[in-house]
Amino acid sequence: MKDRRPLYLMAPALAWLTAFMVIPCLLILALAFFRRGLYGGIEYTFTLENLALVFDPLYAGIFLKSAAIAGLSALIAVIVGYAAAFAIAAAPARRQPILLFFAVLPFWSNYLVRTYAWIVLLNREGLITGLAQWLGFDGELPKLLYTESAVVVGLVYNYLPFVILACYAPLSRLNPEIAEASQDLGASAWTTFRRVTVPLTFPGIATGFVFVFVLSIGNFVTPALLGGGQFQMIGNLVYAQFLTANDWPFGAALSMILIAIMMGLLTLQTFASERASGAKREDS
Amino acid sequence: MARTANSRLMLVILAAVFAFLYVPISVLVALSFNDGGLPTAWTGFSVKWYGELFRNADVMSAAFNTLVVAVVSTIFATLFGTLLAIGVEIRRRKGRFLETIIFAPMIIPDIVLAIALLSFFSMLNVTMGLHTVILSHVVFNLAFVCSVVRARLKTFDWSIVEASADLGASTPITMIRIVIPVMMPAIIAGALLAFTLSVDEFIIAFFTAGAGRASITLPMQIFAMIRFGVTPEINALATIVMAVSVIALALSQRLNRGGLPGQ
Amino acid sequence: MTQALLSLKDIQKYYGSARAVAHLDLDIQENEFFALLGASGSGKTTLLRMLAGFETPSSGQILLGGEDISRLPPNRRPINLMFQSYALFPHMTIAQNIAYGLEMDRLPKAEIKTRVDEMLEIIQMSHLARRKPDQLSGGQRQRVALGRALVKRPRLLLLDEPLGALDKKLRGEMQLELKRIQSEFGITFIVVTHDQEEALVMADRVAILKDGTLLQCGTPHEIYEHPQSRYAADFIGTMNFIDGVAEADGLRAASGQPIHAPRPQGIAAGDPVSIAIRPERLKIGAEGFDNTVTGTVVATAYQGLDLQLHLKTDLAAQPILVRLTAQDVDDTPLSEGSTLSIGWAAKDTRVFKA
Repeated sequence: MKDRRPLYLMAPALAWLTAFMVIPCLLILALAFFRRGLYGGIEYTFTLENLALVFDPLYAGIFLKSAAIAGLSALIAVIVGYAAAFAIAAAPARRQPILLFFAVLPFWSNYLVRTYAWIVLLNREGLITGLAQWLGFDGELPKLLYTESAVVVGLVYNYLPFVILACYAPLSRLNPEIAEASQDLGASAWTTFRRVTVPLTFPGIATGFVFVFVLSIGNFVTPALLGGGQFQMIGNLVYAQFLTANDWPFGAALSMILIAIMMGLLTLQTFASERASGAKREDS
Repeated sequence: MARTANSRLMLVILAAVFAFLYVPISVLVALSFNDGGLPTAWTGFSVKWYGELFRNADVMSAAFNTLVVAVVSTIFATLFGTLLAIGVEIRRRKGRFLETIIFAPMIIPDIVLAIALLSFFSMLNVTMGLHTVILSHVVFNLAFVCSVVRARLKTFDWSIVEASADLGASTPITMIRIVIPVMMPAIIAGALLAFTLSVDEFIIAFFTAGAGRASITLPMQIFAMIRFGVTPEINALATIVMAVSVIALALSQRLNRGGLPGQ
Repeated sequence: MTQALLSLKDIQKYYGSARAVAHLDLDIQENEFFALLGASGSGKTTLLRMLAGFETPSSGQILLGGEDISRLPPNRRPINLMFQSYALFPHMTIAQNIAYGLEMDRLPKAEIKTRVDEMLEIIQMSHLARRKPDQLSGGQRQRVALGRALVKRPRLLLLDEPLGALDKKLRGEMQLELKRIQSEFGITFIVVTHDQEEALVMADRVAILKDGTLLQCGTPHEIYEHPQSRYAADFIGTMNFIDGVAEADGLRAASGQPIHAPRPQGIAAGDPVSIAIRPERLKIGAEGFDNTVTGTVVATAYQGLDLQLHLKTDLAAQPILVRLTAQDVDDTPLSEGSTLSIGWAAKDTRVFKA
C-alpha cells in the first residue's frame, strides 16, 4: 500500500488547485506587467508602470496608512492575545481546554456578523451612546463609528482568537520547570517572564503578529463597514481597481505587493523564530 | 502571597478578554429578541424579527443559494481533499513544492484569490454565477479537508492495511472496508468545516458570483444590508448565521478532537 | 553539638484536605551529602519543593543557619535546585545558562566571566560553551544543570532525581562524579531519589519517607543493617521474610519451627511478627548455626561472582533467596531439585511487628 503510486489519489485535487489557484495567480502576476487598455481592457505590452504607480505619493500614502493601521492592530492583538493565552496556560490543566474552546469560539462565527456586532455597539443610536446618556452624559459624544479607531477595534476583535491560539501553543508546551529554574537562580517573576518565557514563546507571538498584519492590510470589509469608506486601505484599493476603476493591471500589481509583504514577513518570522527558540544548529 | 496576587491578575485578564470577545455578539443576540427592535430600550421578548426574516424573499433566496454552494462545494472538496490527504501521506518522498501548493489556499489572502479567479473567469469569457462560486470554494475547502484528514492520518496505524492485504483483500477493497471507515470521523469533521467555511465565505463569492440578484449568497446579502445600518431583522439573521456555524464547527471539533487546523 | 545547617521543625503540607507531608522533623549538617529516599507519593518531591521555595509549608518552620526561610520566595533563597528535567534554557548557550544566575546577583561582568569559565572547566564543558542545550547528550546536559546551580555557590544544593534520565553505565560514573564535586566544593547536597542503591552509594545519611512521614534516618550502614520497620527492610536491598508469631520464650515461624533471634521491645507474646534475613547472611550447612532449615533448590542464577538460588522450604510460602559467593559453592552440588541445608546467626535476624 505504502508503495502504490499515490498520484492517482492526488490527481483530482492537484488538477483543481492548478486550474483554479495556480493558473489564476500566475495570470495576476502576468497582468501586473501589462498596460491598461483605453476603455478598461488590457493591452498586452510589457510595462513596469503599474508597479511604479504603487510608489506614487498618492498610493504610497495609502500603503503607509494601511501598514500603520495593520501594524497597530497586530500589536494590540498580540499584547492582548498573549496575555490571554498566558492566563489560560496558567489555569488548572483540566480547565484549559474549555477556556481555549471559548476563546476560539467567536472565530468560528461569520466575519461579517462579528464586524456588524461592533456597528450595533458603536453607531450613533447604539448601545454605547445609550449607555452614556443613561449615565447622565448629555453632551455630544465623540464619533465612535466610521473612525480609524473603530477599524482597529474591529480588526483586533476579529483576529484576537487566532492570536490566542498561536500564543497558547508554545506557552502550553513550555516545561514549567524552566521558569522555576529561572526563579531558583534568583530571577524575579518579571525577569523570568522577560528573559525566559517571552523568548521561548516568540514563534507564537511572531505567527500571531504576521497573521493579523497580513489579513488586516489586505482587508476591505472592515474599513468599508467600520471605517465607513472614510479612508482606504490596500484591500479597498484592490477592490476598487477591479470593481469600479477597472484598472486590472494596477489592481494586480497591488495584490502582488500584498503577497510579497506576506511572504517577506513569513520568511522573517521563520528566521526570527529559529533564532529565538534556539532550534537552529550552528554545528553538530 | 505573590502566588495569589498573580492568580488574581490572571482572572482579571481572562474576565476582560472574555468580556471583549462576548459582549458584542451577546448584545447582538439579545437585541434580535427585543420586541421593539430598538437598541436602547428593551420592550419585551419576541421572535417576531425572525418571522420577518422568513418573509423576506431576498434573504430566503440568498440563503437557498448559499446552501447550494455550500453543499455542492463540500461534496467535491471532501472527495478530492480526502484522496489528496491519503495520497500525500502514503507518498514516501515529501516534496516541498507539493506542500506549498496544498498549504497555499489556506494562507493566500482572500482578496488575492478572489481577484485572480475573477480575472481568470472573465478572460475565459465564462459567464459567472453560482457555478463559478462553487468552483472557487472547492479550492480552499479541499485544502482544509485535506489538512484535517492528514492530521488524523498521522496517527493512522498502517499495519492494519497490511493486515487486510495479508487476509486477501485487494487495494480498493482495503480502501473501502478499512481505510475509509477508520478515517470517517475525520472526513466528516473536515466536511463540516468545509461546509461552514463555505456558508460564511464572503469575499471570494462577492468577486466570482457575477452580476445580478440571482447569484447572491447569504454573506453578500448581509454585507449589502449592514452597509445601510442596524435593523432588528439583521440582528436576527446574524444570530441564525452565527448559531449555524458555531454548531457545525463544535460538532466538527467533537468528531475530531484537536484535529482542526491551527490547533 | 553544633547548630545544624538546615532544620525542619514539625513541617506539614496539605493540598486541600490531602496531607502530603506530616509532622516532619529533620536536621541536616554542614557539608553533608544527604539523600531523601522514597517511592512516588512519599512526599519527597513536595519536601524538596518546599526547601527550594516553590511550595510553602502549611505549618512548621524551615530554618537555614538558624534563620526561618519558610516563607521566602525561591529567588531570595541561598538554595539552588538541579531540576529533574534539568530545565536548561533552550534559547541560551551553555555559557549563558551558567551565567544567568550570576547576572541575577548583579555581579560585575568580569567576575561573571571568570566564574563561568571556572565552572565550565570543572564540569569539563569549556569546549562546548557556545552550544545550545539541545546539541548536548544527556550526560552533558546533566553536568550543565549541575554547573548552573553550583556556580552561585549556594549554601544548599538540592538535586531532584539527578541521575534518573541517564543510562545505567553513565549513572555509575556520575554517582562518583557527584560525590567528588560535593567534597571539592564543600557544599551541602540533598538528593531526592526513589533509587535505594543510588542513595546508599552516594549519601552520608539517608532518610526514608513514606506517606509523608519520616520512617528512619541514618547512615547507609545503619539503614541497611538495622532497618526499623518492615517497610524500610523491604524497600532497601533484598530481604527474605518469614511469617511467625512471638511466644513467651522466643519466636516461632508459621511452620512451627522455633527461630532464634533478638526480640525487639514492644512485641508481646502472641503478636504476629515478620522475621527478616538478608540473602547474603545465609550460609550453606546444617550445623553450627543458631537457625537452620532444609529445602529444595528451585532455581539458580549466576550473577558474575555471585550465585543466587531460590530454596523452597517449609518456613515461607515464597522460596528463600540465598546469595552465595563462588567459593561457597565450589564443592556443593547445587543443581535444581537437589536438597540443601542452610543456616544463619541469631544476630543477623531482624524481627518486626507484622
